[in-house]
Amino acid sequence: MPVHLYQVAVIIVAVVMIYQGLSNFAKGKGGQTFLKLFIRIIVWGGMALIATFPSLTNFFASAIGMEGNINAIILTGFILIFLIIFKLLSAIERLEQNISELTRKESLKEIEKNK
Amino acid sequence: MATDIQNKKIYIVIPVFNEEEVIKNVINEVRNIGYGNLIVVDDGSADKTFEKAKEAGGMVILRHKINRGKGAATKTGIEAAKLLGADIIVTMDGDGQHDPADIKNLIQPILDGKCEVVLGTRLKHPVGMPWYKIVQNHIGNLITWYLFGLWVTDSQSGFRAYSRLAAEKINTRADRYEYDSEVIREIYIYKLKYKEMPIKVRYTEYSMGKIQKQGFFNGFKTVYKMIWKIIN
Repeated sequence: MPVHLYQVAVIIVAVVMIYQGLSNFAKGKGGQTFLKLFIRIIVWGGMALIATFPSLTNFFASAIGMEGNINAIILTGFILIFLIIFKLLSAIERLEQNISELTRKESLKEIEKNK
Repeated sequence: MATDIQNKKIYIVIPVFNEEEVIKNVINEVRNIGYGNLIVVDDGSADKTFEKAKEAGGMVILRHKINRGKGAATKTGIEAAKLLGADIIVTMDGDGQHDPADIKNLIQPILDGKCEVVLGTRLKHPVGMPWYKIVQNHIGNLITWYLFGLWVTDSQSGFRAYSRLAAEKINTRADRYEYDSEVIREIYIYKLKYKEMPIKVRYTEYSMGKIQKQGFFNGFKTVYKMIWKIIN
């Protein structure tokens, strides 16, 4: 089976990303939780697996009931990206609220002190 | 010293952002008609708004260290009024477009025990209001009604009065212009008695020229945030 350049590139990037995740998790760095590590392994591990065994996409496509293997991968990718964006926006919203609450508490400090 | 009408402490909350040109005037206008309890919330202005308000003196002046939006600043002012023991809280814009003479009409139904919230409405007599503002506000009302379930004639007005009970119940999360619509949602959820009261609006070159005001683009952002808060 001939090995293409893209396969090597994807595998190298995936290995580096998974290694970084594992290393951060082991050292407890960068707010790396088990959930984040799990998602990282699923995403990058999945990409490395597909790059190593491209025929897996046919199995995947039939498993989720789609005809084209590439369509199945793209659709899954879109859903995953959508979920990640949703999670990011939720996190930003939470942070915004926390910032507003902190700003409010700080500005009300004087009144609360004199109460 | 509390403004005492029927032994009620009435506080006027004015959120401001970059209003150095008009803030002193707004403060003096409110004082001149007899309301001494003012809470000015400077929402992280980049100009000398805070200093100008301080020069006017004799009131509570709060400052957000960073800009958090009109909704956040109004909420800070309401929280401050609650801490100071307010019985009635009036919120009004800091750009001079609201006429303080309308305050008495806004607080009267609450003093009479007829309702908990009085919403100032520009659209019952929209004299001098530009046509596109009228259209904008009708769209805002429609979206607010669709998303939050309550039809009001001016969902985007910042000139409102709340009883103590309403101020305790209403708990908003919106930081920016979607705050005004979120209050409508809270009125609906808590089944607070409300009344709409026509108010005068003074659209000046100054107030119309401000970029942070609710224009068409900001309107889209407001709608997006309202929808986001529902699905998030």
